[in-house]
Order: sequence, then C-alpha cells, then structure tokens
Amino acid sequence: MTSLKGFALITAICAFFASAALYAQFNAGFYTLQGPGSIRQTMPSAATASASYHVAAYTLYPAMLAADDGEQEVASYCNTCHSTRYITMQPPLPADTWTAEVNKMVKTYGASIPDDATQKIIHYLQSHYTPENRKK
Amino acid sequence: MGPLVTEPQKSPLILLTDRPVQLETPRHYFLNAFTPNDAFYVRWHLETLPNSVDLKEWRLHVEGNVGKPLTLALDSLVTKFKASSTAAVNQCSGNSRSRLQPRVPGGQWGNGAMGNALWTGVKLREILDAADLKTGSVQVQFEGLDRGKGPEGSASNRFMKSLDLTDPVLDETLVAYSMNGEPLPMLNGFPVRLVVPGYFATYWVKSLSWIRVLDKPDDNFWMKTAYRIPDTSGGSTTPDDLKAGKVKTVPIAKMPVRSFLISPDGSTKIPSGLPVRLRGIAFSGYGGITRVEVSVDDGAGWRTAHLGGDEGKFSFRTWELSWIPQRPGRYEVAIRATDGESHTQKDEMVWNPGGYLWNRIERQEIMVGAAE
Repeated sequence: MTSLKGFALITAICAFFASAALYAQFNAGFYTLQGPGSIRQTMPSAATASASYHVAAYTLYPAMLAADDGEQEVASYCNTCHSTRYITMQPPLPADTWTAEVNKMVKTYGASIPDDATQKIIHYLQSHYTPENRKK
Repeated sequence: MGPLVTEPQKSPLILLTDRPVQLETPRHYFLNAFTPNDAFYVRWHLETLPNSVDLKEWRLHVEGNVGKPLTLALDSLVTKFKASSTAAVNQCSGNSRSRLQPRVPGGQWGNGAMGNALWTGVKLREILDAADLKTGSVQVQFEGLDRGKGPEGSASNRFMKSLDLTDPVLDETLVAYSMNGEPLPMLNGFPVRLVVPGYFATYWVKSLSWIRVLDKPDDNFWMKTAYRIPDTSGGSTTPDDLKAGKVKTVPIAKMPVRSFLISPDGSTKIPSGLPVRLRGIAFSGYGGITRVEVSVDDGAGWRTAHLGGDEGKFSFRTWELSWIPQRPGRYEVAIRATDGESHTQKDEMVWNPGGYLWNRIERQEIMVGAAE
C-alpha cells in the first residue's frame, strides 16, 4: 500500500513539473516527501542575483488513512486536487454530509471519478469518518 | 490540533493541510499588534501554487473593460506609483470554524487563521485610473498565479474574486508589495497581493497577476457559490432553515468585531494574591476598536481594559488589564470588544453552513492555586 501511494505521489510530482513548464514567469506546485525538518531552510543552491526568486519545494505530510476497501480509490482520485489530509482534518461528519461532499467534488469541482469509484469512496468515508465510527 | 511543521520562509506553524498548503499561527504570536511574516498563517485553495517567480517575466496585467490595458513590472509598481501604507488584519473567512455546532466541513481552523501586518503598495484606484475604465464597468476581478488540477473552466482550476466598483472599500484597497517592511513570503503571495482592509481574506488575492475590469457581475464559482453568508442579521442560520431552502445568501464582506485573551493561556496554574497581566488583541472591520472589557466571573461583571497604541482602524488593537485573583479556584475569564460602529460581541453561537463569521465572546478557563 505504501509503495503504491509513493508511486502515485511521484507520478503527481512529475505532473507538477509538466504543468509548471507552461508558465515562463513562475514555477508552481513543487512538493517533496523529504521534509526539511529544520526551523530555517537554506537558500536553494542555484540562487543568483537574477530576477528569479525561489523557495524550496513544499513539504508533504502524508495522512494515515483507515486501511479498508476504498482506500486506494481515495488515495488516487481525491489526491489529484488535494492531499488526503483534507479528509483526516475534518471532524466526524454524518454519513449524508460525506455523500454531499463527494458529490460536490464531482459535480461542482469537476473531479472526473467513475461512478463505481465515487460510490466506493462514499462508502469508505461513511465507514470510517462519521461520529459513530471515527477512530480518532 | 495538527503538528507544528516548517515550510519555506516560515517558523513552525500548525499544520492543517500540506497540499495545497494551509498553516495556522500559534496563539502566542498574537501578543503583539503586528504578526511576524514568518509566523503569518497560510491558506491556498489550489494545489499548484508558486515556488518561484521570475520578476524579469512576471507582470501585473490590468485588462478587460479599460481604455489602456497595462502590463506592470514590480519595478514599475514601486517607482511609477505613489506608495501607501495601511495596517490591516487579514482573517480567513473560516477562522475558528472548528468552534461551530453542529460541526461543518471545511478547514478546521482554531483562532489562528488571522494576522495583522503593515502593508505597503499602490492604491488600487491609482492603477485603475491609469488603465482608464470604460463606461459600463461594474466590477473588478482579481486572479493570482495559483492553479488547480481540476478541468479548465471549473472551480478546482482557477480562483478568482471580484469587488463592486461602487464599493467604498476600493478606495482603501492596496496592491501590496511589502508586508511589515519586507517582501511578502512566497506563501503569503509574493510578489504582490491584494489588501482589502476590513474585509475577510478571501478577497486578498495572493501572487496577484490579473486585474480585470468587468462589464457584468462576476458569476464564477468563487463569487456565485462559495464564500457566501446567510442574508440574516449576524449571518447566522440553522440547519433546519437551510434544509427547508429558506436561506438567501450574499457574498461575505466585512469582518465582525472579535477579541482574544492571549496571555495567560490557561496552560499553567496561577498563585492567588499575585498580579497577572491579562493581555490580548481585538479588531473589527467596522471602524476599529473603541472598548475591550474583561470578566473574571464568566460574564457577571465586566471591567474595561486599557487599549494599546492605535495603529489605525483596520489593525489589531492590543489591550491589557492587571488582575489579582484573591481566592484559589477555577475562573472563567471572558473578553468582549466594542467597535467604532457600536457593535459589541455577543455570547451567542454563530452557525452557517460555510463555517464563517464566528465572533462569539471568547472564554479562557484559568486555575488559581493557594499561595500558602
């Protein structure tokens, strides 16, 4: 599972580079799993007196998702637009709120998730993240 | 509460989410009127947010319903326009969302999705005047460099906010290139961000790169659907009224009055008979702070606190009051502020589905111990 997630993230990071190349004036969307772990980060080694201003990649802090059927769909589809910390950050939410949230992602935000995966994701969230069953 | 994490140009802040980045400022930073740049909270909507900006290429575009479209380099903003400075609070619309009952989905902020800075930049009106607005202009739209992974044309691809051209706040609005006398951190919107004094931060577009003058109202998702509040007094409603379809909404705008006790924070016991400095901040989008009151008996009696220096009506105002707890026991300290338009904080719940506008009177439990 961990290696699968790692693969998904590397794929995502490659995609960030591709989209970043579209813009000459800035680079965007660089994230890394290797957190700096220090209070002050050093200046990137490529820093020069040019007009280009860089910061290091932003740090990913992968969330611990409940291990169950549907976790893989969550990890691949939800992760496209946002990390799964968006799920673990939420308070326990009623089952119908989770249905509404996932439908909002598809209908309002345009997430392209096949119907069967959408149902699996809703079922997974309702099985682990409601007031009745949320572990922590 | 999330762990403390470090991101570029930032001191350890409370992690809400890592991608896109959302970080909360820890409580102790609010002892001062100005929030340091490295401790200032962070909230992005879209995950492809800038890591670098090349100022040789970067331009602020002023386009749309204008006679003279502009493309301004940072250097032009600094040298060709007059500089203006304003101390102003930037507060996320969802600050304190975790306090609502019943809980609502969204970023589960404590009280730290806010900060105050001295912003320096160019008055938006000067830039609009230079672009020569055409007749029939109704709104002005703002967009930054951030993009999302959602399909083009969808809310998860671009983030845009608009203000009415008749809104008086436009006369106060800045395109800011300096924050507390320093360049903006990348995560707070380098090279320039919009500063809309008194308004919630949803309008303070970061890495601002497009200013578009519109000849009809903006109907993009971030105006038409998101960041809207019930059109009721105080912006509150109930889950039942919402379900019944009774709730009309309007775009969120000004920040209601709030006040906070920052120290002591309840983490340590205080000996009775010794003076304690109760200290904190207050602010309002409605004409600044005129009074802060403190109760040490859960709201039964109130004493007026001393206000700190006045940094302007959009700034944090510090307050302080000396207190000598005479008897050991558990104390409920409550804080309430009154603003320039005579609104006083109430001891009432705030609820709306977006989790916005929370401004209930804050309370802090403080344990006082025996001194002998």
